[in-house]
Amino acid sequence: MRSLNKNILFGLYNDETELLGAISKAKKAHLDIFDVYTPFPVHGLDPLLGLEESRLHQAGFVFGLTGTLTAFGFMSWAFVKDWPIIFGGKPHWPAPSFIPVTFELTVLFAAIGMVVSFYTVCGMGPGIKNPTLDDRITDDKFCIAFDTSGLNSNELDEINSFLANTGASEIHTKYI
Amino acid sequence: MNQFVFEGKQKNVLFGLMALGVVCMLLTWFQDDVYHTRFWTNFLHNSFFFTGIAFISLFLYCGKVLMYSGWHTVFKRVWEASAQFLSVGLILLAVIVGGVYFGYHHLYHWADANSVANDELLQHKSKFLNKGWFLLATLGFGGVWYFWARKMRSISLDQDKHGDSTYSYYKLAKKWGAIFLPIAGFSSAAFIWQLIMSLDAHWYSTLFAWYATVSLLVSLLAFTILLLVYLKSKGYYHQVTIEHLHDLGKYLFAFSIFWTYLWFSQFMLIWYGNVGEETTYFKTRMEEYPINFWANFAMNFILPFFILLRNDTKRKYGSLVFISIIVLLGHWLDFFQMIKPGARHTAHELIEASANHHSSNLESDVKKVLISNTEPTKTIVSEEVKPEEHKAEEVKVGETHATANHAENAHMESANHDGAEAGHEGHHTPEFKVGFNIPGLLDLGTFVGFGAMFVFFLFIQLSKAPLVPINDPYLEESLHHHV
Repeated sequence: MRSLNKNILFGLYNDETELLGAISKAKKAHLDIFDVYTPFPVHGLDPLLGLEESRLHQAGFVFGLTGTLTAFGFMSWAFVKDWPIIFGGKPHWPAPSFIPVTFELTVLFAAIGMVVSFYTVCGMGPGIKNPTLDDRITDDKFCIAFDTSGLNSNELDEINSFLANTGASEIHTKYI
Repeated sequence: MNQFVFEGKQKNVLFGLMALGVVCMLLTWFQDDVYHTRFWTNFLHNSFFFTGIAFISLFLYCGKVLMYSGWHTVFKRVWEASAQFLSVGLILLAVIVGGVYFGYHHLYHWADANSVANDELLQHKSKFLNKGWFLLATLGFGGVWYFWARKMRSISLDQDKHGDSTYSYYKLAKKWGAIFLPIAGFSSAAFIWQLIMSLDAHWYSTLFAWYATVSLLVSLLAFTILLLVYLKSKGYYHQVTIEHLHDLGKYLFAFSIFWTYLWFSQFMLIWYGNVGEETTYFKTRMEEYPINFWANFAMNFILPFFILLRNDTKRKYGSLVFISIIVLLGHWLDFFQMIKPGARHTAHELIEASANHHSSNLESDVKKVLISNTEPTKTIVSEEVKPEEHKAEEVKVGETHATANHAENAHMESANHDGAEAGHEGHHTPEFKVGFNIPGLLDLGTFVGFGAMFVFFLFIQLSKAPLVPINDPYLEESLHHHV
């Protein structure tokens, strides 16, 4: 069980237009949003929240390059140094015939590497259970969450009224 | 500004560039060999290149309609307009076809009756590579494509005027597009075989048509990016945003990789198979035309791959324009290296053959005597006078197994061919010649001239209709396109 040890106050919205409008208002009111959960990727959400571009693809490039070098290096070593063999009348270093395997290993390394990185960064994986605020945020609800740890009652009221005013259909608190 | 105005200044510039092209072609003509090989290969090369781009824009346009694609709708008039160039393309191709008929050019080995008479393989291929089919298919296919270009455009223009919420014109475009795609698929393959691949008449590759088609597709995408950026710089198309260009950049990236996949697949299968008839194509190009061969790879794979790999290079005008120019030139060079070596070889052979004929060389008269093609199950009986080593491979008369015969014929043909060549001059490398080994200024000038003509006719078509279609059901989606 992976726990955040935080008190979360969150509002559920019924569609993404309301959600985007609410986030703009929250930024104007200088409310500190903890996180936003949506059932599908919402266009324009990332720049609105000021999220940086993911570095996952850079990791993907490095993983891919590792695959390229592994495949090409290993085959070159095996054919040239370890066990030179004349194969199909080709030279000892038949580079063109390495390309398909190199390509496959590049894709394999990049794919597996990116999946593992993504799961690690997000704290996901087989057997790990992550707490959810509400099951419906993977279905049809759009959620804005605020971290209420250490906030006084004035600030809590402000957030509550903000959620109510911006059209949240439900407002809940949860310790996760 | 939703209406493109073809200004006088643009016309003057384009006319100037076309004049440059004509001057370059004339200069090429007067410093050429006796068959004007450089001139005619340039003519074929550029005619095919721009007609091909026109065709592939129609193909992509029809494909987009069938794919329920919406993002491109805002600039679909550009592809409609470039497809109309097929009318000019037909005239250019008619000049090539006329040359095959009346013999004012000697691009195609199979069109030379004397060569075919002494060549079992060309006789075998003559069911496809003959003058009648060449005429019918080149102009017939071109005509069918042009008909479709007109049809798709008229549907689109009608939609502007009378389109309503029943989407009847969109549905009509879907029907016509759906019929066109299979026709385009088969006809473009045959078109490429007969116009480009048959320049190396003895050689064939089943991948060739796709490889060449994708080359055209990438050229079209690069050209579209350049044109859209130009039109935006002129104040048109404020609705085309960096999001649309980003998608075009992704297309360019993806299809550059796909082109490389086909290019490499064709190479590797032939390299691995190591059959003499097939490897000669790459041996010639790698050893005698290495600059073309490797520049082709660098410009069409290495550079676009590493430059367009990042996200932000696809969202900046500078890097997009830079790589589009490289790729457009690269694919022009790709066709350059497909066309030049084969045509040059044909010209060499014809010049040699006529020289031998005039000196009435006994050896060449005795060579390759009897060809029997009345019965397909009979092998040829060939009396190679000279080379002893070929005796061993000669003819088993009475052999009845058809496939064995076929293989034997093919083998012998290549042996004869090699023998003939060795008899004349041995295996020498043809001298380095600008215009064949690398594109020279005259070839580039010709390219610019043809390009100006292409843009000229495109602009005329573009000025005839609103730049952004009006009643297209996908217009809203396209205007709000977001990657």
